[in-house]
Amino acid sequence: MLEVAGLVTNYGMIEALKGVDISAAEGRITCVLGPNGAGKTTLLMTIAGLLRPRRGSVTFEGRDITGASSTTVVRQGLALVPENRLVFPDMTVRENLVAGAYTRLASERGEAMADLDRMLERFPVLQARVNANAGTLSGGEQQMLAVARALMTKPRCLLMDEPSLGLAPLIVAEVFNIIRELNEAGTTILLVEQNAHMALTVAHHFFLLDQGRVAFDGDPGTMAEDEVIQRAYLGSAGG
Amino acid sequence: MADFLQNCLDGIATGAAYALLALGFTLIFGVLRRLNLSYGPSIMAGVFAGTALYMGFNAGLAEIAIATVIGAVVVGAYIERLCFWAIRKDMAVASMVSSFVIWMQIEEAVTLLFPDRTYAFPGILADAVVEFGPFFLRASSLAMLAIAAIAVLGLLALIYRTHFGLAVRAVSENPEAARVAGVNTGLVTFLAFACASALGGLAGFLIAAGDQQITPLFGLWATFKGLIAMMLGGMGSIPGAVLGGLLLGVVEANALWYLGVETRDLVAYMLLFVVLTFRPGGLMGQAALMARRAAESRV
Amino acid sequence: MLDDHLIGVLSNMGMISFIALSAYLVLVVGEISFGQQAFFAISAYASGIASAMWGWPFLAAVLWGAAIAGLGGLLLAIPTLRIRGLYFAIATLAFAEMVRLALEIFTYQVEVDGELVGPDGSEGFRDIRYIYEADISAGEFLLVILGLLAVTLAIILWIERTRLGAILRMVGEDPALARLQGVNVNLAKIATVAAAGLVAGIGGALYAHLNTYVEPKIFNVMLGVHGLAYGLIGGLGTAFGPLLGVALDIGVLESTRAFSGYRMIVFGGLVAVLLIVRPRGLLDEAAVYRIRRFLLRKHAGD
Repeated sequence: MLEVAGLVTNYGMIEALKGVDISAAEGRITCVLGPNGAGKTTLLMTIAGLLRPRRGSVTFEGRDITGASSTTVVRQGLALVPENRLVFPDMTVRENLVAGAYTRLASERGEAMADLDRMLERFPVLQARVNANAGTLSGGEQQMLAVARALMTKPRCLLMDEPSLGLAPLIVAEVFNIIRELNEAGTTILLVEQNAHMALTVAHHFFLLDQGRVAFDGDPGTMAEDEVIQRAYLGSAGG
Repeated sequence: MADFLQNCLDGIATGAAYALLALGFTLIFGVLRRLNLSYGPSIMAGVFAGTALYMGFNAGLAEIAIATVIGAVVVGAYIERLCFWAIRKDMAVASMVSSFVIWMQIEEAVTLLFPDRTYAFPGILADAVVEFGPFFLRASSLAMLAIAAIAVLGLLALIYRTHFGLAVRAVSENPEAARVAGVNTGLVTFLAFACASALGGLAGFLIAAGDQQITPLFGLWATFKGLIAMMLGGMGSIPGAVLGGLLLGVVEANALWYLGVETRDLVAYMLLFVVLTFRPGGLMGQAALMARRAAESRV
Repeated sequence: MLDDHLIGVLSNMGMISFIALSAYLVLVVGEISFGQQAFFAISAYASGIASAMWGWPFLAAVLWGAAIAGLGGLLLAIPTLRIRGLYFAIATLAFAEMVRLALEIFTYQVEVDGELVGPDGSEGFRDIRYIYEADISAGEFLLVILGLLAVTLAIILWIERTRLGAILRMVGEDPALARLQGVNVNLAKIATVAAAGLVAGIGGALYAHLNTYVEPKIFNVMLGVHGLAYGLIGGLGTAFGPLLGVALDIGVLESTRAFSGYRMIVFGGLVAVLLIVRPRGLLDEAAVYRIRRFLLRKHAGD
């Protein structure tokens, strides 16, 4: 569904991606693992149209979206849940969600508003704080809001950048439950994580990114057998 | 006491003009997070477009007002493209200095086209005075107050009641998150800049009509009065801009009456300096500043 | 040897360079100042009072003026310590306008040789005649200006090459990191703003004595913003940057009367385009690094 081929992107002066090939199959959860500075965030930002690649291509549902603006990417049905959540702090929860549906407001306002009600039903924590400013929400609540806001664009594929970052374990588990449910409801998910243990519980396919290159490509079974990954990312006692 | 109240009344009338200027400033600052020193000069250029129409074709008030607004918007668009859109977002000083040299450019261009010191501008309700018991107010001031109030309400409706306003607020609060949500931040910024310029053009028209004359120095005056009023109220805050403008007008009017013309501006700058050092967020901005800091420090 | 016009232009460039260097120093510690003209003004008045009213010798008057301007820098730096960025920039603007407007009402006159001498509010401060009475020619005074400028520049360049210079740049680029490294950020900022006041003060004292007459309205915001712009045009990577900015504007464009009448239209457009390509000026950090490497290689090759 989403194909990335030979992607090279600079982040500032540094070449953060040095020719990356990954793909996300329709209806699956694909996870990109990797240490800090491996280029995971750069990869998602390039796909989402926030950074321009120097070389390579991004194809979504057969359409070339390389270097397209973020507005175009969102309209195509790809949505990013950014790292550190990035909510609009001085807007209410409801306004944050309406802003999420910004690209749909002109053409399908009614449907977007119906989606808003469904979203609040789906996320009771947000329903409870619907008129509070997003800046006053807890970290977990802000993460839910970021996910819900991305869903307001009605994406067929969701890009998630370290959704577990800085959250308490109980809330991390809840976030991963939501990821699984979203996937079961038909949304393709490309997940970037450092928390390999949690990712293993949900993902169908793994890529390992290291220093801007793909170092591993396989399913969870193969990955569990791979000794290097065992030692470096799963911290197994055997190492 | 009667003097003081009359001063306040005069001050509010001038303050309404300051408030309009500050509103445009605050709107630009909100979406750009950078300072546009050329804001006043763009308005000045618009007013001269109005004057040209008045002198050359003896046009009516409505046509002159429209020409002023269009002139300000066109020059504003030029500034936005050259000094802000084209310069990297993290180079705020470069944008500011760029807007300064463009200010010099606009001022020289206008001076070349209009070499005299002052030019006539048509007045609204020129010499009429309205009395309220012992107090009085020029009718043109009253008209300015009314139009300023309508403009503020219109701006609030635009920002809080429309899709475009939602996008403007989204870009102001977090440009990256706005892009993630699919907002075309470049276009929204440009349009917000154009709105601010239109608002400035309206303010310029009203002020020039009140004075019935215009000089190229108007650019400097408008930039600094708008800037001070915005900073007093709190950068990026709409109610702050209105409050800051009115406060500046009232303080100036009283300083003029009790202390004289030399001291008036001194008092205004002292007030600004004290507010900046003790309440950097401005009078209205403080609450928002604190809330944002609290939000940023939360994990 | 030099004609009067050239001497006048060079003197002008020299004096404005002090304001440009002063604004540059504040930029190095990461703040923008619209108000360095205040220190230029303070020193112009203080040194004029010292030489014309108290009968002090010229050099003592210049140092006195610069010292008072440095004190003025402290007066600005301490209350504004908590504020940063745009807030600081506007506070400097307010400060400078307060100084200018205060000079508009400042009157202090004494009788010297049967004539009233001294600042007289908006009428200004006339008869700062030291260099005429001492019979110093315009050419000689130019040498004084350039000499003081060379000393100031040498000190700034020397500091930039020491550890202190590196610390100041770190304070400008990342104050939080500097604090973690044990740098007293507040002290660094106060000291730099005071030093910047002093540097502008030297220029102001020279200006008052060359012109024999100053009035408050000379020291308006335009003077300060020009000083700031020179650093941005010439480059923020080295103290030569602001001087290059001054040379380009006053030296090349104003003095040659090129594009007379529409100079700012051309110059403004050129600077705006330059800032798009080089937002930190011609001599930015990268350019300075390349030049230094080139010079080193050439030196090694000899």
